[in-house]
Formats: sequence, structure tokens, C-alpha cells
Amino acid sequence: MFGFLINPSKFNKFADIILKPLILLCSVILIAGLILVYLSPLDYQQGLTVKIMYIHVPSAWLALLTYSIMTIYSVIGIAFKMPFSFIVNKAVAPIGAVFTLICLISGSLWGKPIWGTWWVWDARLTSVAILLLIYLIIIFLDKTFENKEVREKTTAIFILIGSVNLPIIKFSVDWWNTLHQPASVSKLSSPSIDISMLQPLLVMTIAFSLIGLIIAILRIKAEILIRKNR
Amino acid sequence: MFFIKKIFLFFKRELKLFFRNIVSIFSNILFFFLSIFIFVFALGADEQNLKSIGLGIIWSLLVLSSTLSLRKFYEEDFNNGVLVIIHMRGISYELIVFLKILSHFLFVQVPFLISIPVASLLFNLPIYEVYNLIFTFIIGSLILSCLSSMSASMNLLNKANFSIGGIIVLLFSVPVIIFSVGINEVDSDFKSLINILIGMALIFLGISPWASAAFIKLALRNK
Repeated sequence: MFGFLINPSKFNKFADIILKPLILLCSVILIAGLILVYLSPLDYQQGLTVKIMYIHVPSAWLALLTYSIMTIYSVIGIAFKMPFSFIVNKAVAPIGAVFTLICLISGSLWGKPIWGTWWVWDARLTSVAILLLIYLIIIFLDKTFENKEVREKTTAIFILIGSVNLPIIKFSVDWWNTLHQPASVSKLSSPSIDISMLQPLLVMTIAFSLIGLIIAILRIKAEILIRKNR
Repeated sequence: MFFIKKIFLFFKRELKLFFRNIVSIFSNILFFFLSIFIFVFALGADEQNLKSIGLGIIWSLLVLSSTLSLRKFYEEDFNNGVLVIIHMRGISYELIVFLKILSHFLFVQVPFLISIPVASLLFNLPIYEVYNLIFTFIIGSLILSCLSSMSASMNLLNKANFSIGGIIVLLFSVPVIIFSVGINEVDSDFKSLINILIGMALIFLGISPWASAAFIKLALRNK
């Protein structure tokens, strides 16, 4: 049933079926999310700048999600020697890097009016910047080696070592005193964000993840084609 | 008995190589001192200012200069086939990596210990900070040796872009620097931070032989 997640030809078939409906769904949800963001109330302290949140938070979540997916695929690739997982690693890494970059830039634009500075050496901010560096090293590692096996395995092992950073990012706001606010949506008991802001945030998150998914599918298909023709 | 003799011969060879390459190690130390001078020229010679940031500068320059010796770690032995010959003598790659880490620690990092008191004199560091610096450097340099072993074995077949090896060492030396510089803060608990450092050293000493040996085998297969 889930064979398309590990088998290139099944993935190609599945992607051909799903791609066009996915693009349609993504555009509908994105437009709905933008309308919801436009209609959402202003913050009583931050005013209009609170709307940066609808870009900042989804891209941060997706940056972490992309890295977790790469970690899982690296484990699968090293343990079961499946070539498809290396294809996914190569295709997905730039997407995660771009999401991290969007998160950092939008956060810095948000920080200037609210905190009064573009950048502080705060635990959450620093660990996300290190995540961006790790993504860049993964992309560079993929371009340095000539030999295919060495390249794929080295990248996969590096992804595994770098995944130490994920729990540090998640819990940095709880472990250290930071300027960055603690988690307000994913608290299990009751989210401390108002429902009128939570709705557009969740819709935008779905839209962002669909965009990432579509680009990932296209990149994986291109990578499979390149490897077939070689 | 026979086994111990093999290990003894390994260290004898490393010692010979050390005395043959002693100039390169002294040039690493020279690099360290010159970069301290450059820092002082760039920041100005204000005594109080230098005293407050001296420890951080010394630690970051130690990490930077330990990346200089990365290339020597395995590359010569890999290219002229010594690694395979030692392996054929009946020593597993994991043990070779472990011995290499120890010899790198003894012959490359320990000479830096001589330079640390002189460097802290230049910054007028208080005496307890010098003790802490030497103590944390002994543990931290072991971690740095493990990291350089992993990064050097990762880049054995890398002909084009060697600076990525240095980048990887710098990236994973971040926690080492955080904990070893954090010891000198006023409200920090000395014992717990030292325990964290020792724990990290033990973890890396456990992981890096397996990881490096896997990389070396991968490189030998695709040479």
C-alpha cells in the first residue's frame, strides 16, 4: 500500500495520478488562506506586523518537518540499502534550506519593529541558523564527491549526525531563557493562541506544506529521470 | 603479548613521523600566536577589554588551528597503503582509528598545552581561568581529535573541496566551546559542566572509531 514511498517506479505512477489534483487543491487552499489572513484581526500590541506570523511559523515548522523526513529516509537508506531514500535526500534538502531561510528572514523582519533589532544571539535563533548551515553543508557534500556510493552514504550519515540539532531547536525555548516566545500552538492542553488567529495559521500551514510537497514530487521525478538516463 | 608489541610498534612509527614533521606542528602553534596578535591589533590594546574576552578568543583560535592539521590525519597513510598494511597485520580498522585518535591527541593537541599559558599571559587572564582553560582543553581536545578523525575519514576521496572538512569540525565543536567557556561564568556549577564535558568525550570516543572505520572501508572499496 505504501510501496510508493520506497519504490521509484511506483512513486512515478502515484505522482502522475496525484500531481494535478494536488496543484488544484494547493492553489484553492493558498487563496483561501490568504483571504483568511487578510480578514484576520490585528494584534492589540503588535498591530499589522502580527501577520508576518502566517509566513514565519509555517515555514519554521516545515523546515523541521523536512529535516525529520530526511532523517527517517537516511535511516532507511543506510539500514536497508534502498536507493530511493538517497534520491529523496538529494531532492528535499534545498527545499528545507529555502524554508529555513524564509523563516529566518521573516523572523528578522518581524523582530525589527517588535524587539528593536534584526538579530539577537538567542538560543532559538542560533539553533535555527545552525540548521540552515547544516542544510547548506548537506547540499555541498552532495556536490563534492565524484563517487556515487561515497556521496550518498556520506550525506546520509551526516544527516543522521546533524539530527541532534532538532530536539535542541524544539526545546530551546524551554531550556534557556530566551527572547523568543515559547510554544503557543502545540501545547497539548489548550493552545494559548486565539481561535481567530489559529484558523488562518493552520490553513496557511497546509498550503505551505502542499507547496513543499509539489516541489518535492517534481524534484524527485526529475532525479529519477536523471538516474535512469545515466 | 604479541598484540601489545604491535600497538607499541604503531606508536613508535607515529613518534618517528612526529619528529620528522615537527616543523608543521610548530607552524600550527605559530598560526595560533599570529592570529592572537591579529586579534589584538584589530580590537585595540585596551587591557580590561582584552581580559574580558581573552578566554573566548583563545578557545576559538585553538579550534581553528586544530582544523589546520586535518589533512594529515589519514590521507598519507591512505594514499601510500599503510592503512591496509597495518590492517593485514591483524588490527581492525576500528582499533587503528582509536590508536590514531590517541596519537593525534598526544602529538598534535598536547603541544598546544605549552602555548596556552603564554597565550593567557598575553591577555592577562586571572590564574583560575588559566587552570580552567588547561583543564577543559585537555578534555576538549580529545573531543576535537575524535571530530577531526571523523571529518578527515569522511573526506578521504574528496579531491576538490577540502574546506568542507574544516567546516564540519567547526560545526560540531560548538557545544564543546559552549560548555568549556561557560565554566568561567560566575553562577555556573564547575562540577556539572566538567561532567558534561567528560561525558561528551566518552560518547565521541565510543562513536568515532565505528564511524571513521565505516568511512575508511567505504573509501577503500571505491578507491
